[in-house]
Amino acid sequence: MAASKIQALWNHPAGPKTIHFWAPTFKWGISIANVADFSKPPEKISYPQQVAVTCTGLIWSRYSTVITPKNWNLFSVNVVMAGTGIYQLARKTRHDHFSEVQEVPAKE
Amino acid sequence: MAALKTFWNSPMGPKTTHFWGPVANWGFVIAGLVDMQKPPEMISRNMTSAMCVYSALFMRFAWMVKPRNYLLLACHASNESVQLYQLSRWAKAQGYLEKKEPEGQH
Repeated sequence: MAASKIQALWNHPAGPKTIHFWAPTFKWGISIANVADFSKPPEKISYPQQVAVTCTGLIWSRYSTVITPKNWNLFSVNVVMAGTGIYQLARKTRHDHFSEVQEVPAKE
Repeated sequence: MAALKTFWNSPMGPKTTHFWGPVANWGFVIAGLVDMQKPPEMISRNMTSAMCVYSALFMRFAWMVKPRNYLLLACHASNESVQLYQLSRWAKAQGYLEKKEPEGQH
């Protein structure tokens, strides 16, 4: 019983024998890389890159529900990716615009 | 004019997500191009290496998905180039691409 379920998954059109599985599975690498970068100083974060990560994640969450075959793995990875992008953007924005307490006296 | 109308109404045209998904991915390419002007210390090894593998896989994905998506394929081919270049800039700055006595600092 369990064996046939596993077989069904194994042979699925978006299963592990296809690029439909591995491409989105690897896309988790981007989110993982981004999470690893959470500990980096905000000065090193790239605005263009994180905007790209966020927008891509949001648009692709939609895209993955209309392609053939429908791809929930791709959907989930893009939702998380957008989340990490938003977090990085928040970190950098907070650093650049809301924590100038030390800098203000130097500027004046 | 007719070509434009055909494109506008195409099942893979700008009224559909099949268009905007890949357009969003061009954001990575543009971000990469902009970041080429920045000092290599700002390059993220994690992110850039992830992008290199990611775009390689998605070139294949774009080819195999239904409907086949040439825009996506072009996007990931471009991104692959940009990210590989950025990775080489990072590696060079770290000292990994020296000819003799490679002394890479982490």
